[in-house]
Amino acid sequence: MIYLYQGVALLEINELKQIVEALLIATPEPLTEARFHTCLGDSGSKIPLQEVIRELASDYEKSGRAFFIKEVAGGYQIVTNAEFESYIKGLFSKSGKLRLSQAALETLAIVSYKQPVTRNDIESIRGVSSDSSLRTLLDRKLLEIRGREDSPGRALLYRTSTEFLQYFGLNSVKDLPRLREVEDILAEDDNELV
Amino acid sequence: MKNQLHRIDLEMFEGPLDLLLFLIKRDELNIYDIPIAQITKDFLDYVDLAKELKLYSAGDFVLMAATLMKIKARMLLPIEANGDDEIEDPRTELMNMLLEYKRYKEATSTFSEMERFERPHYYHIPATWNPQQEDNTAILEDVKLYDIMLTFQYLIKNYEEPATHSVAVEEVTLSEQVGFLNGLLQAKAKLSFAGLLEKFESRLVVVVTFLAILEMLRNRQVKVKQSKLFDDLFISRGSTFGN
Repeated sequence: MIYLYQGVALLEINELKQIVEALLIATPEPLTEARFHTCLGDSGSKIPLQEVIRELASDYEKSGRAFFIKEVAGGYQIVTNAEFESYIKGLFSKSGKLRLSQAALETLAIVSYKQPVTRNDIESIRGVSSDSSLRTLLDRKLLEIRGREDSPGRALLYRTSTEFLQYFGLNSVKDLPRLREVEDILAEDDNELV
Repeated sequence: MKNQLHRIDLEMFEGPLDLLLFLIKRDELNIYDIPIAQITKDFLDYVDLAKELKLYSAGDFVLMAATLMKIKARMLLPIEANGDDEIEDPRTELMNMLLEYKRYKEATSTFSEMERFERPHYYHIPATWNPQQEDNTAILEDVKLYDIMLTFQYLIKNYEEPATHSVAVEEVTLSEQVGFLNGLLQAKAKLSFAGLLEKFESRLVVVVTFLAILEMLRNRQVKVKQSKLFDDLFISRGSTFGN
């Protein structure tokens, strides 16, 4: 089968699938549509990555691979199936991935909904000093510093990173579940009291 | 009340707001109409217990205890109407803080679930070392401010000042060090930060030079590269160098 786009023969679909597969294996970050086109040069500018990915993904599924293609952080990446976790753990010195503490998760939740935020913004919501949580999250690259506030004190501004999206399996921060409004919480509390 | 408190898992609270939300839920209190006297007493009982067990630096809890007592005192005072004849409840601010915190605390459990769901999946990550990249200092092109700060912290450790009390005026300024670096970069395309440090004897000169680098980085007079975290920083000419 020849890949046709608007009547023009571009690349054979099997070749295309192989190219995309090679890119997915070698990519250090999620493979985006734009990056894919850069890699293909002129010949690939009209090929929609999404379609090739869909073909490749269905191949993987049919042949029962131990991995699949995940849409994450605005691109695609190869990820192992959940059932192999217990074996994969053996590859790492620590027992699998570390989990984030409650404090770190709270801090991360505040940053992801309110970004960009200062440490002060975070602490005034949590009511506790959040220095060590911020440090952990920066060390693990889930957060990054993005400039300074444009006001006296010029406090550092924090944002979530690409690694954050990967860690939580999100395509973009817009995919986060909506934060409940205060009114909803109050309405629920009223019901509880009745 | 003390007995009940002992049954609370003492480490389960992330802070004073978390504890207050717990007390409100446990005693089925109305968040619109918090019985301040009761909650203040319970809160203080808990803080005393936490202090006894040296659970955490009690700072944030003590601050909240003070806030609660202030509200309690204001509730005892005769009500004074403000200009609009509206009576402000001294508990309003606390209520708003609790509700705002509760929103994010709820979101935290969603994050926890997402984390649990993603945990068993591992990404295919290729080796970062690339044999075609001859100049290994260029691997980490995208040095983040945080990385630079960590490296600086690591390098400055060697400059512990001896504990003396003589006060000497050291003649070093930011613009001097900018000039100094400019001079060096005229002669040499690439400077090693660790190499520079060898020339300096005092911590102050190191700090001022580091600030000079940050200043020049901001003005794009220099570029900074690093191959990995805590590694040496390499300084080279930036796009506006010499302007």
